[in-house]
Amino acid sequence: MFLALNEIKKNKLRFALVIGVLMLVSYLVFFLSGLATGLQDMNRESIDKWDSTHMVLTEESDKSLFESSMSIDDKEDVDAADVAILGQVNAIARSDDQKANVSIFGIDENEFIMPNVTEGEAFSADNEVIAGDGLKDDGFVLGDEIQLSSSEEVLTIVGFTDHARFSAAPVLYGDVDTFHRAKFGEAADQNEDHINAFVIRSNGESVNVENDSLEVIETETFIKNLPGYTEQNLTLTFMIYFLFVVSAVIVAIFLYVLTVQKISMFGVMKAQGISNGYLSRSVVAQTFILASVGVMIGFILAFITGVFLPSAVPVSFDYITMLFYGIVLIVVAILGAVFSVLTIIRIDPLEAIGG
Amino acid sequence: MTVLQLKDVEKTFGSGRKKVEALKKTNFSAERGEFTAIIGPSGSGKSTLLTIIGGLLTPSDGSVNVNGENVTNLKEKERSHIRLREIGFILQASNLVPFLTVADQLRLLDKVKKGNMNKEQLEELYNDLGIADLREKHPSDLSGGERQRVAIAKALYSNPSIILADEPTASLDSDRAYEVMELLKNETKNKQTTTIIVTHDVRLVGYCDKVYRMVDGVLTEEKREINN
Ligand SMILES: Nc1ncnc2c1ncn2[C@@H]1O[C@H](COP(=O)(O)OP(=O)(O)OP(=O)(O)O)[C@@H](O)[C@H]1O
Ligand SMILES: [Mg+2]
Repeated sequence: MFLALNEIKKNKLRFALVIGVLMLVSYLVFFLSGLATGLQDMNRESIDKWDSTHMVLTEESDKSLFESSMSIDDKEDVDAADVAILGQVNAIARSDDQKANVSIFGIDENEFIMPNVTEGEAFSADNEVIAGDGLKDDGFVLGDEIQLSSSEEVLTIVGFTDHARFSAAPVLYGDVDTFHRAKFGEAADQNEDHINAFVIRSNGESVNVENDSLEVIETETFIKNLPGYTEQNLTLTFMIYFLFVVSAVIVAIFLYVLTVQKISMFGVMKAQGISNGYLSRSVVAQTFILASVGVMIGFILAFITGVFLPSAVPVSFDYITMLFYGIVLIVVAILGAVFSVLTIIRIDPLEAIGG
Repeated sequence: MTVLQLKDVEKTFGSGRKKVEALKKTNFSAERGEFTAIIGPSGSGKSTLLTIIGGLLTPSDGSVNVNGENVTNLKEKERSHIRLREIGFILQASNLVPFLTVADQLRLLDKVKKGNMNKEQLEELYNDLGIADLREKHPSDLSGGERQRVAIAKALYSNPSIILADEPTASLDSDRAYEVMELLKNETKNKQTTTIIVTHDVRLVGYCDKVYRMVDGVLTEEKREINN
């Protein structure tokens, strides 16, 4: 630490550059991780909120909620602690000048997926809905009458709830009849038994369905199969991992250059009897200091950016993940210092001091 | 007491046509409290001998004993340890850490080793070397002579039992050179160190107990008619 700190103090500019680069890399990592979490939330937060364990869809739907179609009566075939019915349809909602993609969920208000109300009240009559508060960003307010693209029906927002987005669209929760009218219009009566899925909350027991056309899948599997979800995640995760490699390489190159410049100095210290261990520890300590400071500043910058970003940008910070990424960045930087350590170990003190 | 003993030490560099016999079969020993000088022309093998004694270079043949222990074939790690504990190097090239102040150069030794000089001894050393006012400066802000004196302070600070100095006075004016010799002599006598210096300057050998001359890798002791 003594050598590490003194050297940083004496060569502030040089080390400020290293810190600066690490800061930018970690800023990017944190920001991408925020974006990844944000995009995930957009797709799944309504489902996460249910705290469910499984979904029951039809076998032939290939895990797509939209393609899955079953009867409310099929509920008898599902053997689980908590079962909720779910109907779903996508629509474009319009009210005066406002327009937004929405996902309409038809539910039973007595079942566990019934959302809390953060503003206004719960739906109680035909065509009343609780809307995800994301719709407020699109200019919708309590009491708005919503026209749908899919039917002639007009829905009324009577309440708002939080964390209600599905496949990147705000959710409108209504009862099953409202859902039927939104989905089928005139033909609602012919489809009065139709729903898309059952949502299940099991307390650890296995979930059984006595119906060959139905399939039980875990909630996480269901989410992974949402359109684009996995692809999006992989892309961002790949970018983050790639940045880890980049930061390792940057640190390795920087430190290596700095070490090579100091070969004769290390040689002199070794001639004096200062051990490889002490010198190596000092380089590692230095890397740790530089990386920690860089990562810390990167984190603060990412956080500040997050605060000032318009809410339309889907960035949300998951601090556990960020802490993990921060540690990985520091560890990876220290790996980058290994080259320098090897160089130091190979220095022949005699060569350095001349004769 | 014999602190240092070299038996039949030889050193050759390279092989074939490029072969250099830097040190021919050499026997040498030094006692506690003995101040030895090695003189000789450039390229004669003085530094080679000194670095072998200091454990930085392994001889091609023969053995080196330090305090009765054969150190010839020790691993680098153990030799490094002996250097830290026993040996104070004053090198031909400046041996300072560029980013440490004069005071921190010495403090570094406190980090890696115990038994260094106490505060009073250190003050005395600073004053003797005339570097007391330089302690907050970095090497880049010092003159060549000042740097050399700091290097000497660094070597003596760890209270070594063996002091090896390669041209310690090369960049000093003659008054300073005499002072440094005086200082090394006192150190040798007061602390009973074994001190060996390499020098070109025959005027300085008056301070020493023994003088050896190196010519073409052959070491011979000088008869002492030069001094008192
Ligand atoms: N690493 C090496 N490889 C090859 N030859 C070397 C090496 N080190 C020294 N020599 C040769 O060994 C001989 C003795 O060198 P040495 O450095 O001991 O001389 P010196 O007496 O200290 O000279 P000076 O007074 O100039 O410092 C020289 O001919 C030198 O060229
Ligand atoms: Mg020499």
